Amino acid sequence: MLLRLAGVSKRFGRDWVLRDLDFALERGEVVALLGPNGSGKTTLLRLMAGLLKPTRGRVEREGKALLLPNPPAFHRRLTAREHLLYDLAFHGQGGDWAWALGRFALPSDLPLAAFSSGMRKRLALARLLLLFPDLWLLDEPETALDAEGRGLLLEVLKEARGKAGVVLATHDRGLAEKVADRALFLGEA
Amino acid sequence: MLKAANPERPDLLTWVLLGLGLALLPVGLYLALSAPPDVNQGYLVRIMYLHVPGAWLGYLAFFVTFLYSLLYLFRQDPRHDRVAMASAEIGLVFMGLALVTGMLWARPTWGVYWTWEPRLTTTAILFAVYVGYFLLRGAIEDPELRRKAAAAVGVLGFINVPISYMSVKWWRSLHQTQSIDLTTGRIQMAPEMLQALLFNLLVFTLLYLAFVRFRGFLAALEARKEEA
Amino acid sequence: MRRVLLLALRDLRLEVRDRTGLLSLLSFFAVMLFIMALALGPEEAPLRRAAPGVLWVALAFMSTLLSSRAFALEVEEATLDDLLLTPGSKEWIYFGKLLFQLLLLFPLSLLALLMAAGLFYLPLERGLPLLLTLLLGVLGYASVATFYAGLLARLRGREALLPLLLFSLVVPVVLASVRATAGLVEGLPVAEVADWWRLLLVFDVVYVTAGALLFPVVLEG
Repeated sequence: MLLRLAGVSKRFGRDWVLRDLDFALERGEVVALLGPNGSGKTTLLRLMAGLLKPTRGRVEREGKALLLPNPPAFHRRLTAREHLLYDLAFHGQGGDWAWALGRFALPSDLPLAAFSSGMRKRLALARLLLLFPDLWLLDEPETALDAEGRGLLLEVLKEARGKAGVVLATHDRGLAEKVADRALFLGEA
Repeated sequence: MLKAANPERPDLLTWVLLGLGLALLPVGLYLALSAPPDVNQGYLVRIMYLHVPGAWLGYLAFFVTFLYSLLYLFRQDPRHDRVAMASAEIGLVFMGLALVTGMLWARPTWGVYWTWEPRLTTTAILFAVYVGYFLLRGAIEDPELRRKAAAAVGVLGFINVPISYMSVKWWRSLHQTQSIDLTTGRIQMAPEMLQALLFNLLVFTLLYLAFVRFRGFLAALEARKEEA
Repeated sequence: MRRVLLLALRDLRLEVRDRTGLLSLLSFFAVMLFIMALALGPEEAPLRRAAPGVLWVALAFMSTLLSSRAFALEVEEATLDDLLLTPGSKEWIYFGKLLFQLLLLFPLSLLALLMAAGLFYLPLERGLPLLLTLLLGVLGYASVATFYAGLLARLRGREALLPLLLFSLVVPVVLASVRATAGLVEGLPVAEVADWWRLLLVFDVVYVTAGALLFPVVLEG
């Protein structure tokens, strides 16, 4: 059991964003998280990552979780190479950043401020691939990606499925149908 | 301190303490006003009957906040946080009383409202710490983060006390020529004076316990409303 | 731990690349000292007497500003989450941010000493003990500032609380540092000044430890 939520509810101030959620994820599963804007997808992903604590209920997690937010978060004044090197070091891992950058067709020595949003998305995917967590939490990863980028996304997801678990919040039904084993719907009951 | 997690009204012990404290308060005042005046200070010394218990309870209150903040950090029980907060609030009241009465007493005695005397300065610093404690609580919306942050301040603020005291004491001791002769603050205690002082200390302690329990009860009600 | 050093160096690199940031900090610092010299001068004696106090007021301001900056960038870029998702307990983030500030504050202290020597006639004969005082004092101030800045970084618009929360805790640091500096300048034997150093050391140890332990607690949620 890679991830388990039991009776999870979350409120902000007086608003209940999530109510009584039960969910389980095994290694090798890809689950699509669907729902309209404002239905709490991002909140749920953050809860799964452990960045938020539930107001009620329990979240159990095995191994390392990483979150790919939308839009991705980077330090603009670093280059891709520097960023990946620091990230690897903070996680105490080694990894072939050069290969990763090559695979995603990204320049290694350009400040990230000069990256387009599509490039930033690809860098975020490269980062995830290098760090390879046990639990991949992706918030609308398809946004800003062109056709080639989407191809890369699909490849990455296939690789992740092999050894980890994936929760994928998305508006893209097509993508969900292509990669996900099942779906979780958020919104008005 | 608060046994019931969901009280409907303050429990019996709280009422008893409150009743006893309020009933004995006039007795304490009577004793204070009928005690003989001091040899040096005359009737001015009577401020001491409010000032000393106020300061004592203030320090006790903040110590309790420190303890319960530590407890909360270890146990994560919201009740501990409520006690810590209630005690800090009542502590501010008592400490404020001590500071004001201290200043009122200082003016006729030393000629100034304020002096950088170690205990006075440390008290003022501690007062500022707990004002900060409540400003921080007010600034955080998420209840759990609020409790954790407050507990951290409760701990960091209190361990500061001995270090601050030492630093101000050494700082002051460098001034060989003190414009204020602190020995004029000394009093010789007649037995009636000691009696009055101790009695008022008892009354203040009862009131402290009662107020903290009451405030804790209110905090539990507030928390319940927030959870709903 | 290696990542403490790397975090500090990364932040330093980011700071250096933001050329306007460091420059504006330095200018602010220099202007502060100038204005205080103008306000307290031009006679030599009052300036010299005021020098230790002025020095530490300026350093206190800088430390407060720097501690906010240490976290402001993370909040701005939403990268704090990435740090929080790293493995292991999170004290290393505290130490990394603290080290980053020290890497900037130590050279700044040196600059402050030189400027104080110029503008305030501060004698620099006992340079090494003066430097030690600065290091101990700056470490104490920054240890508390790092904790509070990290805590407040996630509360939008509440940075104004930082000076108040900070002030009530760092009184011993300011008193001890100023007194030690003044003592050294007046020619007191090191043995007498050492009392203040000991107090600073106690403060530093207590608050670096407490800050590091409590920091992860207030970052979650």
